[in-house]
Amino acid sequence: MLGQVTFALIVATLTVATVFGQAGAPPVEPQSSAGFDLSGYWTAAQHEDALERGPGPELVDYGGFPINDAARLFALSYDASRVTLRHHQCDGYVTAYQVRATGNARAWEERDPHTQRLIAIHWYNQTFEGHRTLWMDGRPHPAPYAPHTWMGFSTGRFVGNALMVETTHIKQGWLRRNGLPESDQATTVEFFVRHGDHLTHTSVITDPVYLAEPLVRTTDFVRQPVDHRNWLFACDDGEQILGRAPDQVPNYLFGQNPFIREFGNRYQVPLAAHLGGAETMYPPNATMSRPVAESDALARTRPGAGGSVASRAVNPEPSDGDVHVLPIRNNLYLLAGDRGNIVVQVGDEGAFVVDTGAGALADKTIAAIGRLSDRPIQFIANTSFRPDHTGGNATLRASGVDPSVQGSFFSRQFADAGVGATIMAHQNVQNSMIALRMPPSGVPSDTFLQERRRTFHNGDAVEMFWEPHAVTDGDSLVHFRRADVIVTGDIFTTTQFPFIDVSHGGSVEGEIRALNDILSRTVFQHEGEGGTLIVPGHGYLCDEHEVVEYRDMVVIIRDRVQALIRNGATLEQVKAARVTADYDTRYGATSGAWTTDMFVEAVYTSLMSAPTRPTTQR
Amino acid sequence: MLAALTVMTIANGAAQGRGAAPPRSPRTAAPVDLTGYWVSLVTEDWRFRMFAAPKGDFTGVPLNPEGRKAAQAWDPARDAASGEACKAYGAGAVMRMPGRLHITWVDDTTLKVDTDAGTQTRTLRFGTPQGPAGGWQGVSAASWDRSPTALESQSPGSEGQSSGGSLKVTTTKMRSGYLRRNGVPYSGDAVITEYYDRFDIAGGDSLLVISTEVVDPTYLLQPFWTSTHFKKQNDSTGWNPTPCSVK
Repeated sequence: MLGQVTFALIVATLTVATVFGQAGAPPVEPQSSAGFDLSGYWTAAQHEDALERGPGPELVDYGGFPINDAARLFALSYDASRVTLRHHQCDGYVTAYQVRATGNARAWEERDPHTQRLIAIHWYNQTFEGHRTLWMDGRPHPAPYAPHTWMGFSTGRFVGNALMVETTHIKQGWLRRNGLPESDQATTVEFFVRHGDHLTHTSVITDPVYLAEPLVRTTDFVRQPVDHRNWLFACDDGEQILGRAPDQVPNYLFGQNPFIREFGNRYQVPLAAHLGGAETMYPPNATMSRPVAESDALARTRPGAGGSVASRAVNPEPSDGDVHVLPIRNNLYLLAGDRGNIVVQVGDEGAFVVDTGAGALADKTIAAIGRLSDRPIQFIANTSFRPDHTGGNATLRASGVDPSVQGSFFSRQFADAGVGATIMAHQNVQNSMIALRMPPSGVPSDTFLQERRRTFHNGDAVEMFWEPHAVTDGDSLVHFRRADVIVTGDIFTTTQFPFIDVSHGGSVEGEIRALNDILSRTVFQHEGEGGTLIVPGHGYLCDEHEVVEYRDMVVIIRDRVQALIRNGATLEQVKAARVTADYDTRYGATSGAWTTDMFVEAVYTSLMSAPTRPTTQR
Repeated sequence: MLAALTVMTIANGAAQGRGAAPPRSPRTAAPVDLTGYWVSLVTEDWRFRMFAAPKGDFTGVPLNPEGRKAAQAWDPARDAASGEACKAYGAGAVMRMPGRLHITWVDDTTLKVDTDAGTQTRTLRFGTPQGPAGGWQGVSAASWDRSPTALESQSPGSEGQSSGGSLKVTTTKMRSGYLRRNGVPYSGDAVITEYYDRFDIAGGDSLLVISTEVVDPTYLLQPFWTSTHFKKQNDSTGWNPTPCSVK
């Protein structure tokens, strides 16, 4: 009897709690009490787009994709041989494309062991071992200067009968792996709906760079009762094309893609239709129901007339007048907010700072460093002379001290030896800053002439590598070897076309060499991402993938300009050819300090000049 | 114990709606509003849906040998001549046709789906399905498929629509037709199960996603799954009823 009473009380209590909620009980988060369980093994029902999702899509089959002109030109320039490049061989798929990949998937929940509240749902795809974490605990998305990944950063919540997931911070990848690009500015909203053992996934991709309208796609999964036992996706980058020069990136010049008509001829589809565009995803319209003039269709395979367009990308650099700190790895931090990126290594020996920003927020930079370490700044390394990387030199130097000089023989020669941090850079940085009459106290005093400058600091091997004639004649990379972080200065940014300053010794060929030099030092961790981290001069924290895409872009634009020069084109004709048309919506500028026209002129001018060779200081 | 049992009784009474209003009609109980004009976004199987693929191209459809044989025998001229131009506009494929839907309530228990592609009408009836068998659209039984979320969040006796739920439609007794324009077949014995879900996204757009399972032992080796999506329109812009076409 006692047992029955106890059971009844338990049942009654649970019933009340379920129906009314219970006064005094901890608040129940909606996501922990509602929704459905996604856990289990799933297999994609690959009945739609089976050819694309299996062996691969047809070339120049863009029909139904609401792409803009830039995306179409990017895709037409794409040569599938590009995947033979070492740094592309293990490229993964981005979020929404991953879901449509062939292979198996599984999902599982991650719950707080103490409260059983739902923290995250994990979704793992066999293809490229794509592992997504859908955060269900209400955490915010990272700052714009945080890294991008294949899977992006996802947060979810149950809405009605669906799990709604919002994803940001996605790498550049494919809308379709025949060259149709999805930019790193894309975001997705997804809906997972479960009907018994069937799961429907809906993705809505918004991409201001490459889409004219959101791209909606739906994918079906069928639940499997057993483990497929086939979860790995082996990949290494061991394939080599012997004899290919490091500055070769397979691509087709505008108007020279040899496969433009292959798809249309095979399936009797008009060219104007399978070149894609928002109009091609709607019910039959003029494009598909009546013939489009041959010349009009072909015109879509080349840049249109008119000037370049401005970037539609979000500037990831904070502009709120504050300095923001992002941990990078080990004892390294990114300080963003004073225009150029600043990197700080902290430790017992004192802070090692790479670049000092524009200097407007130098006091806040010093305060931020002070919160990371109670040791003073000992070293400052400059990647370039440019004011957005050296502007804070004088102030930061004055706040620091170099005890390695104090007490040495230098102190007998110089009264101020060791007073303030030591600034190091390539000799040409010093030359340029003196020539430009920049504040003497901010000019590097510890310079090097060739190859590299190295030091071991705070338990890490720190190397500076001179990159001759890249954006200027004095650029350096700074490689923290143990942390495996490379600080690139303006050789690489995520915000603009490379700022090739021809008047200070920059050149497009040197820029390509420098980007390849970065790539010669990187090692990815998994499926082409992670591993060596890259801090650009401006923009968000990266890995080698962003550098590869940037290198490809510079090479491809170089190739176009070079081809025009060979045909006798003038600078004005090169500009009119819109050689950057497929990248303008990502990096272009029509005003400001570095416009697209200025970049094209720099490429043209440096190619028209005598071949640049590595030299020492001026 | 008495107190506990009393509370339990109150709770159960409230949950079951004792003394509450009579059961609501399917229309008033709708967990989601599917009515209005919807335009298809053809972003998948594009060349199969926008154009008639070549004969014998049934990529992705799990046909059995009999199904392959039937697909290879496709003859659009014969279909047109024999008055069967609408074979690709039956319940098994009409929602995949590029076009617009107009969804309305006929009465409290019947939804109607008009398509401008092929000028077809589907009648989705809640409760006991009715209607003539052997037509292109067959006989469809509708029900609301509510998620546990919706059931938990809907307070007893509440009026109006609550979020969270799908329209489930089971269709049988069709005239045999095509899953794709190019003669990929389904038989009159097929059973088609559909789920209609609506998603509202930022910026004011709404999507209708129809997940479809076709089970057909006559021509398919396994269930054939597709999901087809539409965007909500504010009005009838673009509504353009056209006759069935074999091309």
